Amino acid sequence: MVERIEDLNLPAAVVARLIKEALPPSANVSKEARAAIARAASVFVIYLTASSTAVARKKNHKAITAQHILEALDQLEFESFVAPLNEDLENYRKVIKEKKDSKASSKKDDTMEVDDAEPEQDDE
Amino acid sequence: MASEELFSETPVFSEELPSGNENLRHVLEEVETETEIAHSEEDPDKVKSAEQTEIPNETKSITENNSATKEKPAEKSNEPRLTHLPLTRIRNLMKLDPDLHIATLEGVFAVTKATEMFIDSLAKESFVHTNQAKKKTVQKRDVDMAIASVDSLMFLEGAMNF
Repeated sequence: MVERIEDLNLPAAVVARLIKEALPPSANVSKEARAAIARAASVFVIYLTASSTAVARKKNHKAITAQHILEALDQLEFESFVAPLNEDLENYRKVIKEKKDSKASSKKDDTMEVDDAEPEQDDE
Repeated sequence: MASEELFSETPVFSEELPSGNENLRHVLEEVETETEIAHSEEDPDKVKSAEQTEIPNETKSITENNSATKEKPAEKSNEPRLTHLPLTRIRNLMKLDPDLHIATLEGVFAVTKATEMFIDSLAKESFVHTNQAKKKTVQKRDVDMAIASVDSLMFLEGAMNF
């Protein structure tokens, strides 16, 4: 669980960088505005999680998957996030797969990724 | 006022650390997330067989990996960095939800990416109001106006003072 209250905040430097990247180079952001956006982002995580657990519950699924989150985004009128997020997920799966292929040890990455062919078994 | 202070006291790791360390922190957090969540989800048989055959190998590779990154942080940058925000922090926020039992790694990753997009879009929406006021600096007022004017941001009204 959350041990310290600061754990509810997202790292200020990272948030500041993301804001800066979103705006034209000539723009500045006041400290208060940065704090407000960071706080909004924390609330967003909680809001999106709550909607995703609701989606999962409706389907009697126990674990929250990327698919539930995509559906929740669509319901919450953040449908514009769905396409880029799908691309990110594809990229993520690719990287995880590469990691898995290079290191035989990282078999237990994600339930969705489980590949039942186990080529390492036949060295006996 | 009190909550304002709490926020300003947020530790800012990445500003104080050289980028190599930031990478390392990120990697460590990823490793932690991966192992913890994977354990809770994996089918027991699979875990058992994986442990028997692969654990020594894995512990070795993790320690090797850590020391390698400590000494040569540059090596780590070959691996593409997938998220800007730390996955662990997002996962902790997600765990506040009493209805959440298990989240897959992909799920945590998806929320993290969505949050990055959210920050991007809220910054852009706020800047619209900065621009309208013919200013260059985004003020909190602009963020508030963005929240009030965009439908999908309505959930933030009254939720900003936790």
